[in-house]
Amino acid sequence: MSTPVLEASPTAPPERPARRRRPRNRLGPPWLFVAPALLCYGAIVLYPSASGLLYAFTDWSGLGDWSFVGLRNFDSLLHDDRALGALRNTLLLTVAIVVVQNGVGLLLALGVHARIKSRMLLRAVFFAPVVVSPVMVAFLWKYVYNPEPNAGLNGLLGAVGLGSLRQDWLGDPSLALWSVAAMVVWQHAGYSMVIFLAGLEGIGKDVQEAATIDGAGPVKRFRYVTWPLLAPATTINVMLSTIGGLKLFDQVFAATGGGPGYATETLSTVLYKEAFVFGRYGYSTAVALVLALFVAAVSLVQIRYLRAREDQT
Amino acid sequence: MTAIDGSGFMTGGVSRAQFLRILGGLAAGAAVPGLLSACGGGSGDSDSLSLVGVADEKAPLDLLTKAYTDSGSGITFKTSYAPTDQVQTSLRAQLGGGNAPDIHALYPGSGSAMSTTDIAKAGLLADLSGQAWTSAIPANLKSSFQYEDKVYLFSSGLTVIGTIYNKSVFAAAGVQIPKTWSELIAACEKLKQAGKVPLALGAQTQWVTQLITYALVASHVYRDTPDFDDQMIAGKATFAGSGWKQSMALYMELRDRGFFNDNPNGTTLEQQTAMVGTGQAAMAVQVAPLLPAFRDAATSSGDIDMFPFPSADTAEQVYTWSGANVGIGVHAKSKNKDAALKFVEFLGQQENINTWCEAVAAIPLKRDASSKVDPALQSFLPLIDAGRVAPVGQRWPNPEVQPTHFTVIQDLLAKKITIDDGLKKMDEVYRKSS
Repeated sequence: MSTPVLEASPTAPPERPARRRRPRNRLGPPWLFVAPALLCYGAIVLYPSASGLLYAFTDWSGLGDWSFVGLRNFDSLLHDDRALGALRNTLLLTVAIVVVQNGVGLLLALGVHARIKSRMLLRAVFFAPVVVSPVMVAFLWKYVYNPEPNAGLNGLLGAVGLGSLRQDWLGDPSLALWSVAAMVVWQHAGYSMVIFLAGLEGIGKDVQEAATIDGAGPVKRFRYVTWPLLAPATTINVMLSTIGGLKLFDQVFAATGGGPGYATETLSTVLYKEAFVFGRYGYSTAVALVLALFVAAVSLVQIRYLRAREDQT
Repeated sequence: MTAIDGSGFMTGGVSRAQFLRILGGLAAGAAVPGLLSACGGGSGDSDSLSLVGVADEKAPLDLLTKAYTDSGSGITFKTSYAPTDQVQTSLRAQLGGGNAPDIHALYPGSGSAMSTTDIAKAGLLADLSGQAWTSAIPANLKSSFQYEDKVYLFSSGLTVIGTIYNKSVFAAAGVQIPKTWSELIAACEKLKQAGKVPLALGAQTQWVTQLITYALVASHVYRDTPDFDDQMIAGKATFAGSGWKQSMALYMELRDRGFFNDNPNGTTLEQQTAMVGTGQAAMAVQVAPLLPAFRDAATSSGDIDMFPFPSADTAEQVYTWSGANVGIGVHAKSKNKDAALKFVEFLGQQENINTWCEAVAAIPLKRDASSKVDPALQSFLPLIDAGRVAPVGQRWPNPEVQPTHFTVIQDLLAKKITIDDGLKKMDEVYRKSS
């Protein structure tokens, strides 16, 4: 009796050699390499953050014992005029920074993308402020904003016949927030420029040439070709500048300390002062938690909207 | 002999995966001790004391730690210094984390992140009560050094708020040192007419905002109500219903008369110092420890001098702000507590108190023939000896009162709020629990 032999179908895929399976209960080399970084990250970021969640519901002063206070810290936050004022300032700063920084960054990118001889030098010059420490930038701008009529920006305005525009840039409560915003834009516009520039470099010349052959002028080329194709770069820039604006601390703290009065207080300066000046670590952690959730929520909404825009293009 | 098969794995000896695993394990192992040592704190050595101080007090502490080591004590020091805000932040975090230095900067009274009362209340300060130097603490300043009748702060002496001025500017304008409020107004008018800024004010540096109020409040509140702090704590007094209101009004009178530089809210302490030093401005209300900075900024250091702020209608009514200078405390849980306490006892010897005070232009707790008080502070000694002093602001019930005062003054200078609004806000913050 013969056993029927099944022939392999000519269309069947060739038999693969059995894959060697790694035992699941052993840590592979990648994990061991990642372990030191994970350990540091866990100890420096994850553990304090997780602890923070707990302290947001306590009355801890940073010293000694603490007790749970339920949602009292969050209730206080809702009735804290200073924190609510700081939220308003933070939002205004963020909107100003997102709009102006990205607008200036885009203009700079378009400028240094053009075929001009010194474009590489200009790229370096415009990007240079990004690599300077924010605190250094704040101290530098304190000199620029010197209220003396013959110093800094006021001196420059006087020299060009615009003396009537001299201001107390950081000392006038109605102006200080915008002075801080200008300082931040000056530092980070180069960063937006680089991202827009990468987007511009990725747009093929043939697309631009086709639009030109179809009779589109520079404005229409930008409106209907360049701008839609810059959507991914715009998403990144808007996201990063929004997060940076909402978390803004260094420049504000070094330039004004949140003053005059509470004119430039941001959520970050409030949570710093609550913890390290007033010794209310529990309340400060609640502010930090709300800020983190707020940043996450705004970022998620933004990314959904901007991604949808990218898909349309 | 080792061969490599088609899959890339070695068929003998150590495989690539094993090699990588070993390397990974070594990397992980190497990270742990580093991480643990980074989390450590305190010296742990019985012959070595760790000390974290305020940068302003570095000069005397460097001198005295060296002198203590050289005296055959067998103790060496690991010292580090930082500006006030950084020291307050890092020390409180270290105290909370259980890795505080053996000896650390400590601020008098209550109402700041590293104030004596707040840290002693948490049981983190060693008791200094038995030390000989504590008998020199003036009765009206005991609350700055103590918590529940035990001494926890070592401070070498007193500092004052007064008027630092440029003698050349006074001489050129023909102005004499004013001794009363009306004389001050007249002097300011004369200086203004001479084209000088009468009073430089660097209110962008927030703590500078409080100095004129404190100088005025000493005369307008504490002269007639020396127990004002006790009354406030008991809820029997308010800022709004006290001489604070008159003091703020006088402060703003100086603003309205145009005696400050333009845009004080945009002017920093450094700019204020330079204005007086270079003669652009005549005076600045400041703390005595800044005398060296003003002298450095002056064309000639001899141009800079100081007098009590003439805050009252008659010279006899003038009180001055005077309080304990920033000092040090001993960590209660230090492994080297006994050695640290001996060092504080050494600091409390009269010659060492004198050394400390000379280095920071402070007035020794107790003066003897060898005490050298800065010549610019001589005019304050009669007031101090007569008890005409008030340590305003060293007994706030929580750390928010002082920063609120800063913002109130900035808002008043910017004419954004009224004095009543500002004092109401301060009263609200004062009533918050610490």
